Amino acid sequence: MSIKIRMRGKSKGGIAEVKALIKHPMESGARMNKKTGKPYPANYINVVEVLVNGTKAIDAQWSGAVSANPYLGVKVKANKGDKVTLNVASNIGDKGTDSITLK
Amino acid sequence: MKRRSFLKGTLATGAAAVAVNAGLLTPSTVLADWNKKAFDAKKVDDALNGMYGTASATASGDITLKAPAIAENGAVTPITIDASKMKGVESISIVASKNPMPLVCEYSFASAAEGYVSTRIKMGETQNVVAIVKAGGKLYKAEQEVKVTIGGCGG
Repeated sequence: MSIKIRMRGKSKGGIAEVKALIKHPMESGARMNKKTGKPYPANYINVVEVLVNGTKAIDAQWSGAVSANPYLGVKVKANKGDKVTLNVASNIGDKGTDSITLK
Repeated sequence: MKRRSFLKGTLATGAAAVAVNAGLLTPSTVLADWNKKAFDAKKVDDALNGMYGTASATASGDITLKAPAIAENGAVTPITIDASKMKGVESISIVASKNPMPLVCEYSFASAAEGYVSTRIKMGETQNVVAIVKAGGKLYKAEQEVKVTIGGCGG
């Protein structure tokens, strides 16, 4: 299943602030299902990367303690017209990607 | 686009996003490995040892840690760490000291990135949030207590 991402970014003075909202339950594996008494299986995004014009700028690793529907705010050195790509992958193998051209 | 409409659109996950992400696009590059040892650690020191090979960090005033003094909902605690004043920032981690697994997330930066991270994390109880910044091969930290009225881990 692919993970849905919405992102935007704007460059100012060579530094671009990139914001993204990712739609994902971020199930840590610790939350109990009260009906069955068993925990909900872990399903969270654990690997995130940000690329500027295809070159890696940020590598992130997340645990299940990042909130559901995660917000990602980062700053990269990039100018107007540069392409910023966000790739994410979850512990169960789901992947998602989105890219924007900076304003 | 205005911030408001961006947020609204995202919550509803607009039809456009669904179309764009309908399984047609897969990440082209191989994603990095996940540091299981550090994230599974139950103690702050073990987590830092697993991630950085050391647990000793010096407190630094150059790290700006923005976190709410009182988080009404521990499941969504906004945290912003700005270490762009420091030179050679290689990595930023967020540690919630009393969470069952304290290490929340780790960001490592290449030269094209600024030492800045903004995110939202889950917190189980009132505790200190610690920002760990690795710059020039050394670890620095900033701490702030966040009071949690409703926990966000399990339950």
